Amino acid sequence: MIKDFLKTLVSNRKSLVGLCLLGFFVLVAAFAPLIAPYEPKIDRLETVAELGEPSLEEEIVSEDYPSDSRDVIVYRSTTTREYEKTVDYFPLRAKPSAEHPLGTNHAGNDLFSQLVWGTRVSLTIGLMTGLFVTALSLTLALLSGYLGGVVDDVITFLTNVMLVIPGLPLMIVVAAYVTMKGTLPIVLILGLTGWPYPTRLLRSQVLTLKGRDFVRVSRSLGERTSFVVFREILPNMISIAMAEFFASSMAAILGEATLEFIGLGNVTVVSWGTILFWAQANGALLSGAWWWFLPPGICIALVGTSFVLINFAIDEISNPRLRKR
Amino acid sequence: MSDERDAAARPPALELRSVVKRFPLRSLAAYGKAVHAMDDVSFVLEAGGSLALVGESGSGKTTTASVIARLYERDSGDLVVDGEPARPFRNRAESLAYKKKVQLIFQDPFGSLNPTHTIRSILERPFLIHGLADGRADLEARLSEALEQVGLSPAAEYLRRFPHELSGGQRQRVNIARTFAVEPSIVLADEPTSMLDVSIRMGVMNMMLDLKERKGVSYLYITHDLAGARYMCGSIAVMYAGMIMEIGPTEDVIRDAVHPYVKLLKSASPSPESGLARAPLDASGEIPSLIDPPSGCRFHPRCPYAEPRCREAVPELADLGGGRGVRCVLALR
Amino acid sequence: MSDTMLEVRNLRAGYATAKGFVRAVDDVSFSLRRGEFLGIAGESGCGKSTLAYAIMRLLRDNARVESGGLLFKGRDLVPMPAAEVDALRWTDMAMVFQSAMNALNPVLSIGEQLTDAVHAHRSVSRDEAEAMAVEMLALVDINADRLRSYPHQLSGGMKQRVMIAMALILKPELLIMDEPTTALDVVVQRSIIEKIEELRRRLGFSVIFITHDLSLLVEISDSLGIMYAGRLVEYGPAAALFNEPRHPYTEGLMNSFPSLTGPLRRMDGIEGRTPDLLSPPPGCRYAPRCRYARPACSEGGCPGLAPSGEGRLSACPYPMGGRADGGVAGEGGRL
Repeated sequence: MIKDFLKTLVSNRKSLVGLCLLGFFVLVAAFAPLIAPYEPKIDRLETVAELGEPSLEEEIVSEDYPSDSRDVIVYRSTTTREYEKTVDYFPLRAKPSAEHPLGTNHAGNDLFSQLVWGTRVSLTIGLMTGLFVTALSLTLALLSGYLGGVVDDVITFLTNVMLVIPGLPLMIVVAAYVTMKGTLPIVLILGLTGWPYPTRLLRSQVLTLKGRDFVRVSRSLGERTSFVVFREILPNMISIAMAEFFASSMAAILGEATLEFIGLGNVTVVSWGTILFWAQANGALLSGAWWWFLPPGICIALVGTSFVLINFAIDEISNPRLRKR
Repeated sequence: MSDERDAAARPPALELRSVVKRFPLRSLAAYGKAVHAMDDVSFVLEAGGSLALVGESGSGKTTTASVIARLYERDSGDLVVDGEPARPFRNRAESLAYKKKVQLIFQDPFGSLNPTHTIRSILERPFLIHGLADGRADLEARLSEALEQVGLSPAAEYLRRFPHELSGGQRQRVNIARTFAVEPSIVLADEPTSMLDVSIRMGVMNMMLDLKERKGVSYLYITHDLAGARYMCGSIAVMYAGMIMEIGPTEDVIRDAVHPYVKLLKSASPSPESGLARAPLDASGEIPSLIDPPSGCRFHPRCPYAEPRCREAVPELADLGGGRGVRCVLALR
Repeated sequence: MSDTMLEVRNLRAGYATAKGFVRAVDDVSFSLRRGEFLGIAGESGCGKSTLAYAIMRLLRDNARVESGGLLFKGRDLVPMPAAEVDALRWTDMAMVFQSAMNALNPVLSIGEQLTDAVHAHRSVSRDEAEAMAVEMLALVDINADRLRSYPHQLSGGMKQRVMIAMALILKPELLIMDEPTTALDVVVQRSIIEKIEELRRRLGFSVIFITHDLSLLVEISDSLGIMYAGRLVEYGPAAALFNEPRHPYTEGLMNSFPSLTGPLRRMDGIEGRTPDLLSPPPGCRYAPRCRYARPACSEGGCPGLAPSGEGRLSACPYPMGGRADGGVAGEGGRL
């Protein structure tokens, strides 16, 4: 089933474009150290060169000839190597050049390298959050939809409450209280604010499937609940869960960028969001330093596009009416 | 069409005594109200016999099947299967034992097969759940046999397909094969042919009759089609708004219906033989809401012969002799 | 000619799918007299709905009429400009769809929908339109106080009766009904059919009634057309077709409905399944399922309708029931 699904995904033109785009960014993230010319946080290039051959100097400290058959000579040998250390400070706020294809920022960091390394962080946060949200909302949806009763009432109530609270302010408030260390806190913040919508969607799908005859047949044959849930219902939710995964990942990438941009993330991490944060903080937009803020913006937009294209295709696959005649 | 030779020797396959099932409404506006899906439903299905449960949509016939299959538990009344009164399941073994005895065939051949599974993984479930196969080779043999006895051969050809690769008739045959896989003693068939193309319905119905003959099962055949009920079953029970209105041997009930509703149903059913000589319907209207069923006899608002007392009390199912029962005051005269 | 309401001549129509063009109606010809009740029976996918939509010029975007003529009161609908068809539709010919639930607009009251239909075609005052609506509702046994009701407040049978009222409100001369009672219970179905019969006698319109339920059609139709895999395979008076089917498919279909009152006998229906219209079998399309098929049946072209006596037409070159005065294979039948 999953194999069929992936096959269809590849054969659909929209999703193929989306998958290629996403694949490109995944490759960039994976091979960041090879692609990026510099480390993301250095602001200078240090080169050390040795000048000439090492010179050897020997100096006799003492000589002693205790007998005819023995000499004792103490001497000091000093090898002198001469080095030349060049420190090339990266220019601050430089325009794009051969050395810095996308220029440098206020601290002199190479922006192209930051963009490449930032892909790794942004994509990881996005996909991890997507996975987290999908797993969480799928679990909640199955519990609430299949079990019904009080469990359903509680989960539905929580979902509705969360849906009423506007997402961005909530994220900001939570982020303001959490100390940011590494990337895990931001994944948790994005995940814990992102589950309600997918949960509601998946729950209604569970309810539809639960009423289908094949589920009733299964129960009348005497199948265990776990079998009904995991073998009868779950496989029929793959496409919608995949769609939710991509949608949540996209929301997470945007959410991460937003939080970082307004400075509530971990500004010491290099991601597309923090590049934008520093660009804004240093007036890149005012001074028209497009090479600073435009590339991360475009990257965010492209990753978003790839997710949306994949989702279009999933829609087409699971909804035959949208299929091209 | 049924074989009831040894009915006397065995206890009835199935007996319902005054079974009631209500579905409480969950919304706040309808607090305390319920859908009266089954009210005082009693009937006997002889071992090896066949009973048609006939009714229009909303008559409670599908609920009756679900209650017998114990997908829902009844609110009150007795359900006796093979002489044993049904009790709440104490463990999974009891539940499995019951489900092995009583099996359902659903109406929708498209909806009752999981589209993500192959026919093999669908059809091997009953054998695996109930531990009916002795090793891999035995399972293979049983799978082939199950498909071949419903006319799907070569079995291997069908086993590796997905449901969407089969026609409606073939899917329904797979459903029937799955039902018979556990060797049930009672099969509840809920309109098994109503969603099939007309030309292949008879094929499925004949196959079911042959299977019944060969396996000695009892059928509760649920349908809205009187003619189909006559073709399939020896006895018939006509339901209206959650209650049985008339019950008895099929030929007697159809030839000589007593209850006004059964007469109405009969005169409304297509019948090319009666042609233009058909009398116009003597009642109109539709099945009432089961949330607020009419007082007294549930048919009285539509009944051309209704009397004041019909509004007051629900008539009892009166015994007319010869296995016939009618829930109507007219029958008592 | 004035007696002929509709003449369908060698109609070919179909729709495009991802896998190719499906010719759902293939060389179908018949004619319909004024006031006649024609039943068209066939299984799902036989093209009966495509035929109905083609006559109404309501085919979907992916469907089209390939060739043939649709003469409505002598005027060909196929080449007619859309504006002229719009003027004819509803006033002269109307259609009742299978699913009344989807055909009625849920946010408009019954009264609004009925009077909208009037205003779209006639310049009458609001009161007049409402009077027409009340009159039509009364004809289908719905109380005038239902004018203010919304579709969700009505039962399925009532909605279908509203659809019939809406179809008849401008007194059309031709009413096409595509499975109008399939989703309804038998008692409701019967009361709607009785209503249509009564209205037809009173108003004198012609009816094309399309359904898979042959046992019903036999009873209510004057003439009967049997469709199989896009072809009209038999046509004639309903009673004659029932008593003495001349095409094996008609016989098979008649054998698919158990009798309610007649002698109880084993019925066999038809073996096999309907062919895929993307690649219909060679020769007679019914040959693979036909119990009387001869080797010659699966060769050459698809046999067309040919007269088989007593005003009847059959597409089987080897007619059943004795008469073998035979048709010629390959020619399209004409009436």
